[in-house]
Amino acid sequence: MGSNVTSHLIGKIFCSLGYYVFNYRDYPSLIKGGHNFNVLNISDKPVYSHGHQYDFILALDQKTIDIHRKSLKKGGIIFGAKQTEPVVQKLQGPQILANDVLIGLLCNYFGISLDVVLSAAQKVFGKNELINKAIEEGYSLSETKEKLKKIGKARYFISGNEAIGAGSITAGMDMHLAYPMTPASPVLHFLAKRQLENNVLVFQPENEIAAINMSLGASFAGAKVLVASSGGGFALMTEAVSLAGMAELPVVIYLAQRTAPSTGVPTYTAQSDLKFALNAGHGEFARIVSAPGDPQEAIIRMQEAFYLSCKYRTPAIVLGDKHFGESNYSFDKLDSSRLRAISHPVDRASSYEHNEEGHTVEDAKSVVKGQEKRLKKIPLIAKDVKKLNPVSIFGRGKNLIIGHGSTKGAILDALPELKNFRFLQISYLSPFPKDEVSREIKKSRKTVLIENSATGLLADVIAEQTGLIIRNKVLKYDGRPFVPEDIIKAIKK
Amino acid sequence: MKPEDLATKEKNTWCPGCPNFGILQAAKEAIVELNIAEKTAIVTGIGCHAKIYDYLNLKGFYGLHGRVLPIAFGIKLGNPDLTVIGFGGDGDTYAEGMEHFIHSCRYNADLTMMVNNNQVFSLTTGQFTPTTEKGFKGASNPLGVNENPINPLILAMEAGASFVARGYALDIPHLKDLMKKAVTHNGFAFIDILQPCIMYHKHSSAYLNNNVYKIDQSHQASDLNRALAKAREWDYSYEKETKVPVGIFYQTMRPVFQSQWSQLKKPWYKIDRKTNLSNITGEFK
Repeated sequence: MGSNVTSHLIGKIFCSLGYYVFNYRDYPSLIKGGHNFNVLNISDKPVYSHGHQYDFILALDQKTIDIHRKSLKKGGIIFGAKQTEPVVQKLQGPQILANDVLIGLLCNYFGISLDVVLSAAQKVFGKNELINKAIEEGYSLSETKEKLKKIGKARYFISGNEAIGAGSITAGMDMHLAYPMTPASPVLHFLAKRQLENNVLVFQPENEIAAINMSLGASFAGAKVLVASSGGGFALMTEAVSLAGMAELPVVIYLAQRTAPSTGVPTYTAQSDLKFALNAGHGEFARIVSAPGDPQEAIIRMQEAFYLSCKYRTPAIVLGDKHFGESNYSFDKLDSSRLRAISHPVDRASSYEHNEEGHTVEDAKSVVKGQEKRLKKIPLIAKDVKKLNPVSIFGRGKNLIIGHGSTKGAILDALPELKNFRFLQISYLSPFPKDEVSREIKKSRKTVLIENSATGLLADVIAEQTGLIIRNKVLKYDGRPFVPEDIIKAIKK
Repeated sequence: MKPEDLATKEKNTWCPGCPNFGILQAAKEAIVELNIAEKTAIVTGIGCHAKIYDYLNLKGFYGLHGRVLPIAFGIKLGNPDLTVIGFGGDGDTYAEGMEHFIHSCRYNADLTMMVNNNQVFSLTTGQFTPTTEKGFKGASNPLGVNENPINPLILAMEAGASFVARGYALDIPHLKDLMKKAVTHNGFAFIDILQPCIMYHKHSSAYLNNNVYKIDQSHQASDLNRALAKAREWDYSYEKETKVPVGIFYQTMRPVFQSQWSQLKKPWYKIDRKTNLSNITGEFK
């Protein structure tokens, strides 16, 4: 406890002065103790990722210093117990005050006015004299070495999971039903806290199977519902994903991936459920699968997911992961889509093959009719998706980097160092933008896939969809996200 | 409206003489007498019981095996104005969907759950379920069932259901009456309907015809301990002749699920939302 709140508050202070901030959160699967840390990247230019070399270490314990000292840049500074302990003792407050001392120390180093710091703290902690005193004491302990000015308007500072929640409300979501599972639970908390002011219903049922079946009941009655989980919980939902396809009921599923298989490494990241999302559920039916690369895109993709799911009455899955979900990104402004999701109640819904009245049929002709009616949606959705920027291209160059989802940030930040490389971000995985992807690969001299997985799943999807084989893969499967230097090193090798 | 008006043109594929016909008839009569056809949605699982979806001209959701209750609960959340009635089988509700059964009793949402309990899997041709008696031999267990059956009435009462009853599919007037009381009960109402299968559990109808009796008027249904004692009279086994009570075992009033949620006032599809991203994202600046 502590490191994330401190880091978030510092990020927020710099955002309020117009700086760009990225906040990475690293924590083990336990409640108290262990080694939690955050990496903050603060810049006067846009940043979407963190790095492994630090200018400052703000340590709440000696372990932090021991582990991270080797990553401190030459001339880098450590603030730790040496500075915080006397203050905590003087104030006779709880150990957690060390956080506030560190905030004061850092902010005065950069000449940020004490008022700015105190008012930012008050927004988070409310009026708290002890915290204010700790900040002030910390502030008085450091010297201003660099005077940072306000360089622009305050920026938004938002995580992927917060954006999933905000995007869902903006999309017109009525209900969120979810069983807790890291790293999807922050969406449940976000929406639960804001349910009354937004007139939405948020409920935690007995398990994921209940969550999605309840959702389909509500969807039958005309409600627009979001369910969310990670891989294991989504695995439990798959029977009902197929039911949504058969009964033609809209439902939006946020799948926040983590390091798998199985329980895996619960609080760490991966993109290894891509093919699972594309294939979950028995039988053949239309589905929408998108993978936003950052919170701004997540807001838009959530709105699109609700829109498409309701319009075509079939499930939509939005892929995220721990890195996307629990990192904070800064933006000048946040845009939304104009698309409005509209759902309506139906009189009959069936898991059996059925006719127009919803009655059970088994004869060959009716079976074919039912299948074709539902599968006809695939080309229609593909046509709509074409207009929704299913791919984005960044930079210029004969060579191509391909990625999806949360690798976007590190790739964008690596790109200036990679001469002759441009970046193709694929945001829709189903229906797959095969023409766009195929064209970009064909006109490139070299194509490299970047993915947080052990086998490079997107390459398989591309091969299946376009017939093109990608042999160069830069993969990372240690649970940790890419940082730009990982990508630069791997590609220059 | 007459009960026949709730019929559909679908061909009925239950075995001739199946007690499910009794449940269908009782349901039609109850719904017509309560005059709720317009605003009623039924939910079924998968199995013989579930074919009722095709035979009742009502709003309906033919769901998944075991998932009647979460779907029914979801419909109630989606449109609190609807009267929601679930039909499940014993395998459906007490095996595949046991977790939903227990939690639905706890939630006490205002809906009705009827279990067509024939103590056997029939549509899959005769395997045991959690309410099959000890010693039963089926296609999947030639060595015989070695466990005692679950008593779903006791389970429901202990889990917090506010209306617990048992009906008999071959006593249609009594069953209809129970259904009407269950549907009008404000809270989670559960009826375990004994529905002796004439194909895979043949010994049960003669036994039940001999032993079923209606719970006396003097039974105090609001007393949980008396209700539990009444439910223990028969343990779902066929070893010795034991009287089988049917009727309302337990009924109490406690706050329903919906009462905690001020949002659940009207169907969501009637809510005209004018959402604005900047209202939601202001806090991030």
